[in-house]
Amino acid sequence: MVASTLSFLWEHKSFLLWGAWSTIQLTTISVALGTVIGTVVGICRVSRSKVLSLAAAGYADFIRGTPLLVQIFLVHYGLPAVVSSYVPGFYVAPFVSAVAALSINSGAYVSEIVRAGIQSIEKGQTEAGRSLGMTYGQTMRYIILPQAFRRIVPPLGNEFIAMLKDSSLVFAIGYNELMTRGKILMTKYFQFFETWVAVALVFLCMTLLVSRLVRFVERRMAINGES
Amino acid sequence: MVRVENLHKHFGKLHVLKGITNRIMKGEVVVIIGPSGSGKSTFLRCLNLLEMPTSGDIYIEGVNVINRGENRVSINKVRENVGIVFQSFNLFPHMTALRNIELAPMIVRRVPEAQAREDALALLNRVGLADKADSYPSQLSGGQQQRVAIARALAMKPKVMLFDEPTSALDPEMIGEVLDVMKGLARDGMTMVVVTHEMGFAREVADRVLFMDDGVIVEENTPAELFSNPQNPRTKAFLSKIL
Repeated sequence: MVASTLSFLWEHKSFLLWGAWSTIQLTTISVALGTVIGTVVGICRVSRSKVLSLAAAGYADFIRGTPLLVQIFLVHYGLPAVVSSYVPGFYVAPFVSAVAALSINSGAYVSEIVRAGIQSIEKGQTEAGRSLGMTYGQTMRYIILPQAFRRIVPPLGNEFIAMLKDSSLVFAIGYNELMTRGKILMTKYFQFFETWVAVALVFLCMTLLVSRLVRFVERRMAINGES
Repeated sequence: MVRVENLHKHFGKLHVLKGITNRIMKGEVVVIIGPSGSGKSTFLRCLNLLEMPTSGDIYIEGVNVINRGENRVSINKVRENVGIVFQSFNLFPHMTALRNIELAPMIVRRVPEAQAREDALALLNRVGLADKADSYPSQLSGGQQQRVAIARALAMKPKVMLFDEPTSALDPEMIGEVLDVMKGLARDGMTMVVVTHEMGFAREVADRVLFMDDGVIVEENTPAELFSNPQNPRTKAFLSKIL
């Protein structure tokens, strides 16, 4: 079993590695966009405006309360169906749908991370900023967010790892990443066990690598003065 | 300088301040004492609107700073003129001591960076920490952190300085260095309102001592009079416990 898996892995290494590369690209772009979305939404979550915080909470609840696969189908099949009734022949490439769906999904989770990060900063920090005459926005920008982001790095790393794995769901709309390539190999060679252990191993390598990287970044940030 | 008229503060059902009326003159050092839960800190925090009073008025240099009705002033403008030093320092941990001090003048008062830096260094020198400019708060002792916090508040050139139990979180051997800085400020004519348990400081520096209990100012007098000859039984009871 071990021997046959390893030889299978070796035989299809470039095919699988290209798939892994696609997975990494897709995940990196999606989590990057998700972080931008999540930061904005997270700040809205803690804002004093009822409308903004309710809208942000609604978004986060909807995304976190529905399956990612449903969201992917909604973006890839659902939205184009609506748009194509106005713009005939409207079509979105799987890559674009995949990035859109995963970013929107990631944004919801990141918004929770950002909200928790902001709320974890002691109230005294806000009071110190405000008592020096800073506005709410200035206090956020110079005092709260820089501290919050340091605390956000580890959970953001976890979000990246989770998304690295969850992005495999986009095989369902035919985007050619690692999971899709596993399916292709399976139907071509019928080595079911070897195929999926090989795919699992490639995923495992990626997640282990990323978690090391996150720990390294974390340590680097801790050196610069944080108590 | 500061005039407070019939100030009330409720936290939900809890009635913390029950009608405070007082005047603080320019250059005066007022020390507020009283048992915990008497509302001293809340009163202090109302003065720079960290707590919004439920009712009553606060005038700073004749301007009503409570945002009601006519002549509204921005809370931020009020706070620029009223510095506060907290019990727990609340320095910004991600910035050096120097940056802690120069930040607010730069972004609130739009002081050019070179000028702000020069002022900040002068202030660090004044609190005896010129050599700690590049240290982060976590590298400083409690007493040093509190002195940086005082410098940070002074950087905004406030007209009034509020001190909310500035030495209560300090190890005993560090209390002196902070009190010395505060005494220096008082000598330089700063208007100060100090909530503290340091009766020695009150005796030596205060022009007036207010004794608060249960949300009201029970008694006020010069420190010599108040400590040696308290009138109100509640003041007597409190002083007998701590002196």
